[in-house]
Amino acid sequence: MISKNNKYLKLIFLVVAVFISAQALAHHVLGRPAYSLNEDSNTPPSMQVETQIGKYFVTYMVYPAFPKPGERGRVNVYASRIENGDSYDGKMSFKVSNDVFFGDKNEEFLGSQLIDDGVYRQGFEFKDNGAYIITASFESDGEPYSIDFPLQVGETSGMGPVLIALAVIVFILISVNVVQRRRLMREKIRVTRGSGNDDSENSTV
Amino acid sequence: MTHPGLPDIWVYIIVSFMLILSLAVILRFNFSDFKLIKKSSVTLAKLWLIGAAIQYLTKSRWPLFILKLITVAFFLLVIYAGLMGTPVPERNIATVLTWNIWWAGLIISIFFLGSAWCAICPWDALATWHVKPRLWFNNWRLNNSLELTPPRWMRSVWPALIMFAGLTWLELGYGVTTSPYATALLSLVMVVLAIISLALYKNKAFCHYICPVGRTIGFYSQLAPVELRPLNKQICVDCKTLECFSGSETVDACPTKLVMGRLTQNTYCTSCGNCVQSCPSDNVAWRLRAPSQEAIESARPHWDEAWFMLVMLALTSFHGVTMMEFWEQGLRSFAQKIGDSGQLLVSFSSGLILSVLVPVAIYALVIELTRRLSKSQLSYKKIFSSLVFATLPLAFAYHLAHNLNHMIRESVGASQLLLNPLGTNVSYSGVADELFIKNSMLLSENTIFSLQALLMMFGFWVAIKVLQHRSKVLFADSKTVVTMMPVLLFVFAVNSFHLWMLMQPMVMRIGALCVVPSIL
Repeated sequence: MISKNNKYLKLIFLVVAVFISAQALAHHVLGRPAYSLNEDSNTPPSMQVETQIGKYFVTYMVYPAFPKPGERGRVNVYASRIENGDSYDGKMSFKVSNDVFFGDKNEEFLGSQLIDDGVYRQGFEFKDNGAYIITASFESDGEPYSIDFPLQVGETSGMGPVLIALAVIVFILISVNVVQRRRLMREKIRVTRGSGNDDSENSTV
Repeated sequence: MTHPGLPDIWVYIIVSFMLILSLAVILRFNFSDFKLIKKSSVTLAKLWLIGAAIQYLTKSRWPLFILKLITVAFFLLVIYAGLMGTPVPERNIATVLTWNIWWAGLIISIFFLGSAWCAICPWDALATWHVKPRLWFNNWRLNNSLELTPPRWMRSVWPALIMFAGLTWLELGYGVTTSPYATALLSLVMVVLAIISLALYKNKAFCHYICPVGRTIGFYSQLAPVELRPLNKQICVDCKTLECFSGSETVDACPTKLVMGRLTQNTYCTSCGNCVQSCPSDNVAWRLRAPSQEAIESARPHWDEAWFMLVMLALTSFHGVTMMEFWEQGLRSFAQKIGDSGQLLVSFSSGLILSVLVPVAIYALVIELTRRLSKSQLSYKKIFSSLVFATLPLAFAYHLAHNLNHMIRESVGASQLLLNPLGTNVSYSGVADELFIKNSMLLSENTIFSLQALLMMFGFWVAIKVLQHRSKVLFADSKTVVTMMPVLLFVFAVNSFHLWMLMQPMVMRIGALCVVPSIL
């Protein structure tokens, strides 16, 4: 009886799931991370960013898609000329820094790479969770090129914005409350003075 | 991945419909007097079978409160999942729920329910609970607002217009729709803005002047088939206490300070139902009406509102343009010319500005031409503001048709996201999954095409009615056919452009979860 019930439950779940399932493919935005999660692909799941700079169209891929601290990962960069698709074949150097608005960026040199089968490969291994910026630099036609790409290692420490929002809300509510109390106090004083004046006027009369 | 465009057969039908209608207008057939529903309105609470339920829902405060709790719970889940969950947009409930379900479904909801969303909006609910909480519906209420009068520059829809353009920039340029984290941040910012606004200003200044979503809903609601209106206008005329405006001991005042007796348009009504509950004569109720009646006849033109409607049309079209395959190519070419790199935000912003300026400039020229043809003494502003209502149904119809694609094709998979809202340890999808979901849309492809086609025809039909009626009111009757020709051509061109966009393959915003259930 129990298994029969389970069977029905499974059937209901399956019907619901079939009814409301759809494909997982994303609208890619230039310069924003996109994720390649197809298990049938030859390559492991990766995060990639496509962008262009000057005369080059650049694709940046990170393996694995979600690197963890202590796990070895790799950055692949493809740079091809926009007008004819020819690959850039000079030297490319990689740096890493903390992705922070304020505070220490702590920039470190990762390495310089030569092209290998049309790709620049740069390995990495991070000890700590965090948001990092990988900077790929190269020179072409005498012009320097430098492109920043995001890299998230491990879990995001995401509750910071909530705390900031809460702090702003609390600050606003307390400030408003203080102003209101002052207003009330002023009103009380005004009323008291008004009635005092009335009394004195009455007594004079 | 792209969605297929509207098949040719539907395009022929729509274009034929538009041509026949335009020809009829030129031959002076008056559509503005033609009404599908002869009776102006039907009171929902008096309807057989569902009347009692509707009366309970509108008179009791509990249903609305419970709905608010639900939307707030989902809103908080969006923030939590966005900040803590997977960055993969199609696997995180923050992005799917916000952009595929809510943002796409919101516009569709207006078509049936008008501004009902505003009544259960979590931004406003959270702001009210923080600043002016009323505990368990008793008379005691904390008021932690300074109740300042908003400054003059703020008392228009210009702030909402700027916010709307900003939201579009974030959505399509910065790519907030593809980032759960950015989606959560945006949600936080909106709720903080709502709280600050309520803490500083009297009434609901945020809903009235700032909220881009609320104003979009408000303008589109002019085309909705429902309205909150007095049952007997004479009762309102005789009323001296105006509880609908100022509230009662137990019911709050109208959040946007509307007086029911003088209400002619839905634009600023947030559907909160306070007026229904506070009216001592039970004289306010939800009514069914002929859709678009308000845009055709009742809505009064204002300069700032006219601009909002025009920019809304431009930005709605722009949404469509950015999801065409040619957009990215054009953006890249332009970026290369100006030396833009990274997210190409300078190029995108230029495209956004141009997309707003071009239709606005064309409309401005069309109105100048109309004014000259009419030889009218009316001011340019008056004609500009009055005839802009014809663009509202065009924007709404295209917005609905466009969002149907997002809603039906992309918002599926929600049940699996509810089981794993943060998208942690997601398995990867493959060919088996693609085959599995191929035929699992809520509506068939042909149904979507039919609905899109009907919407495009509906939009054009209403635009023509609005144009005819407003031209007749503005200009001498004998001249209307000639004078309305420039705007008629504008309306035809805009709808044709929208139709052309619907014919093109559309790039998906984000996908939805696609994993064959493990139960298999």
